[in-house]
Amino acid sequence: MDTKWNSTGKDPGGEQAYLAAAQGGADRVEEAEVFRPYTGRKGQIRAVLAFLAFFLGVCLVLGSLGAALGRWACQRDAGNLLAEDWQETAAFRREISDYLREFLELGAGEDLGWYSQWYETSEGTAIATDWDRTVTATAPAEETPLPAVSWDDPDVEYRDDSNVLYRITGNGYSYTFSNSGSQLIRSTLPEGYNFLLVFQDSKVSIWKDGEELDVYGDGVYDGDSDWFVPGYDNFPAGDNVSSVKVYIAVRETPVQYYNTSWGVQTSRMYRAYRSFQESREFWLTKAALLGAGVLCLALWFCLRRERQAADKKIAFWTVHVWTEVRFLTVAVPLCALLLLPMASMFDTLWYRQVRLYGLFSMEVLDYMGWSLAACLENTGALLCLWWAVWLIRNDHRYNPRESRKSLLRKLGRVLAGAIRVLRARDLKRPIQKRLSRQTILRPLALLLIILLATIWTTSFYYDGRFVLLAIIAELALFTLLHILWGRRDCALAHDIGLLADQVEAIRSGDLSTPLDLPADADLRQTAEALNDIQAGLNRALEERTRSERMKVELISNVSHDLKTPLTSVLSYAELLRQEPLEGAAADYARIIDEKAHRLAAMVQDVFEVSKAAAGQLPVHPERLDFAKLLRQTLADLDDPIRQSGLIFRVDLPETPVEIVADGKRLYRVFQNLIDNALQYALPGSRIYLTLKTGEGTATASLRNTSRDELPEGVDFTARFVRGDESRTDGGSGLGLSIAKSFTEACGGAFHVETVADLFTAVVAFPLTDK
Amino acid sequence: MNETILVVDDDPEIVGAIAITLEREGYRILRAYNGMEALDHALDPAVRLILIDVMMPKLDGLSALIRIREKRNLPIIVLSAKSEDTDKILGLSMGADDYITKPYNPQELAARVRSQLRRYTSLGDIHAEGRGRIIVNGRLAYDPDSLELRADGDVVKLTPTETRIVDLLIRNPGRVFPAEEIYRRVWNEEAFSCENTVMVHIRRIREKIELNPKEPDYIKVVWGIGYKMEQHG
Repeated sequence: MDTKWNSTGKDPGGEQAYLAAAQGGADRVEEAEVFRPYTGRKGQIRAVLAFLAFFLGVCLVLGSLGAALGRWACQRDAGNLLAEDWQETAAFRREISDYLREFLELGAGEDLGWYSQWYETSEGTAIATDWDRTVTATAPAEETPLPAVSWDDPDVEYRDDSNVLYRITGNGYSYTFSNSGSQLIRSTLPEGYNFLLVFQDSKVSIWKDGEELDVYGDGVYDGDSDWFVPGYDNFPAGDNVSSVKVYIAVRETPVQYYNTSWGVQTSRMYRAYRSFQESREFWLTKAALLGAGVLCLALWFCLRRERQAADKKIAFWTVHVWTEVRFLTVAVPLCALLLLPMASMFDTLWYRQVRLYGLFSMEVLDYMGWSLAACLENTGALLCLWWAVWLIRNDHRYNPRESRKSLLRKLGRVLAGAIRVLRARDLKRPIQKRLSRQTILRPLALLLIILLATIWTTSFYYDGRFVLLAIIAELALFTLLHILWGRRDCALAHDIGLLADQVEAIRSGDLSTPLDLPADADLRQTAEALNDIQAGLNRALEERTRSERMKVELISNVSHDLKTPLTSVLSYAELLRQEPLEGAAADYARIIDEKAHRLAAMVQDVFEVSKAAAGQLPVHPERLDFAKLLRQTLADLDDPIRQSGLIFRVDLPETPVEIVADGKRLYRVFQNLIDNALQYALPGSRIYLTLKTGEGTATASLRNTSRDELPEGVDFTARFVRGDESRTDGGSGLGLSIAKSFTEACGGAFHVETVADLFTAVVAFPLTDK
Repeated sequence: MNETILVVDDDPEIVGAIAITLEREGYRILRAYNGMEALDHALDPAVRLILIDVMMPKLDGLSALIRIREKRNLPIIVLSAKSEDTDKILGLSMGADDYITKPYNPQELAARVRSQLRRYTSLGDIHAEGRGRIIVNGRLAYDPDSLELRADGDVVKLTPTETRIVDLLIRNPGRVFPAEEIYRRVWNEEAFSCENTVMVHIRRIREKIELNPKEPDYIKVVWGIGYKMEQHG
């Protein structure tokens, strides 16, 4: 049934075939009809019928089986189902055996202790051993004929029971007990009595319906022997009953009787009979119910196709049931069926069985098994459990997982939503308020816990368990709160760390990676603000870089375009100078030549300073001796220095001053500085060049006294700035600018100080570690 | 003399100026105004040297240089307004024998042309003469036995001190010598404030061997470290 549904419902090929058949001819449709559940009113009725059959079948089978198993576990009397004659049941034989023992005791006048004392032998057969104890009968001395009814007679309790007639003769007819007027002889048993037992000469003989039964079998008593009466080889009657004669006659159908003198009394035999009857009725009923259930299930099997529709319908209804309710529908019957009986049984199990036999002994397992079986007697709970499980399974089969509804999940979702809303509202407040509120709320929460724990402890101070509970609960809450707060604090600390790192990264020039904090982080807004700043910086930097690059390209092109005509000018000026010119013309040619050369130098300077300013200047840093570089520079410029008439005061350390720089560029720096000094220093004044080391820095400074008054507030390192704005001859105005940009390109620092007419240029480089 | 030189530049005035300068030196001049024309003239077997600009229409100087090099082995001097070190290295690695930046000094230009022609024509002599004894470095050839230095085949007159400095440097091309070491090995005295002394001598040597003493090709200052002899092919 299931497989058929699955094959049509889940297999797309099958479905397509079905659809194709539906679109095809009518004959094909009829073929497809075979696989379809009936529809329409008839189908509905059949579906309901199928489900009812299933329901009834399961109820009947489970109910009868559960009850039967439960009764079997307790009483093991299923044999009564087949026993038609009561007198052939074990219960009846047990009853007779008891009567015989009691009557023998009456006859012997004493307790027959040996009768039921049993010992295990090595062979495993239960036998009576205490049978040869010497018994001295203390019989009444005088002869009593049929005794009168007296409350003091030993057999008084048997007298009124007409279900069992007896005649007991003790010690060779010295006394007799009987409730029967007649002799109990086989041939003359009263009407309605069909069973006769005679104990004579230490042997038992039994007649039933006039036929004698084989009492002793092979003469040895074992566990399988029917009759538990003395006279076997291993269970002989004792000496004290050797002269006792007992006759017992039993009514075929025991009856209820009343003793009016002291109320209602029920005969033992009648009780046993009733019990037998009741047991038989029980088993017959259960068998009938089981049969009916099986029939119902058979019907259901025939209608299985319709059951599909019913199941789906039920699943359609049950889909709305919350998961929690489903859980309860299983849990409650399960508790009623198993857990509660098990719990009540636990004491017995623990104290009686486990203590006696050990935890894993057969006895304990046996006991547990039977106890569990006995639990099945609670058929109501059993059926509830079955149907709960069935409904859930049915629901899971037909309804997709997503459609299941859970109250807890719904509650959780609502709670999470509420927390999100609250958190979002909270995040709008400034961070300092949020954090300072924490410092107030947290101690308050701790105080509250301590207060509650104290109240609890003082209310239950007399019971150590409650105090302990309070302490444990307090500790658990503290731990929980600290874990929660700790996690939040850690997250905050982590975010602060990230923020600090990001600030540091931005400072060191990383403008490309934004800081991404979780949406609910305390520092989210700050991080976003920082990201905006970073993005802005990045944009500005990109724009600047682009414009710088464009500027450099422009300058490069311009300088190239300038150089080409300049080459012609220079070439022809040179040629002109070589021509024999008269008077002023020679002068003019010389001036043109000179100025053209200066122009060429300026173009080159402009080109280099622009590249340096744009950071495009190629540098080749290497380890070099700063002092030596200065000496070399001075030596290189020895001629112009001598010609200038200025006095150089040089103070350089003898030991190497190691720095990392591009030697060529650094030479240009000092060449420009010295040129500058030679050009603008007061004639005849002194120029001081010093190199000092200290605090990891080598600082070179060049001081000179300016020939002209130095204007205030002028940045001499800016391009095209000169000491005297009106000057038209001399440098390009780029010397200091080149010096500054080259120094910086090499990784050094350059600055200019002016005090009155004292002009100081300072070049500083970090010393390399030795 | 009357050696023929091909001058290529897209600026006719520059070609004219160079032509005048070189014609005064006694050379015959062929003129071309772009790379394609240069290729045509370069096949003329009379051409002994080419002066070529880089940035030209139709075919740029460096491409023309490569194409000419496929056909002929003759000195080629590149003339360019690009003055960066990287441009010079590019030009030389493309097969140029020399690189002159614009604006150029006409005397220097003439000197370089002369030098290239001398080397080109007398190269075989030096090799035949040398046989391993002679240390050859570009335009320079030094005989360690006779302590004779030649530049472009001409003997350079050096003082004994200058000869010792040249001897030290040219035997160790590329190695950087601090001034102190030069002083100690040349003068055989303990060095003290020797920078100026060494520099004076080096400047004088440069004036004798370099084509442009202000931008030396051979004896160079390694700033902050010392002095060295540049190795040339």
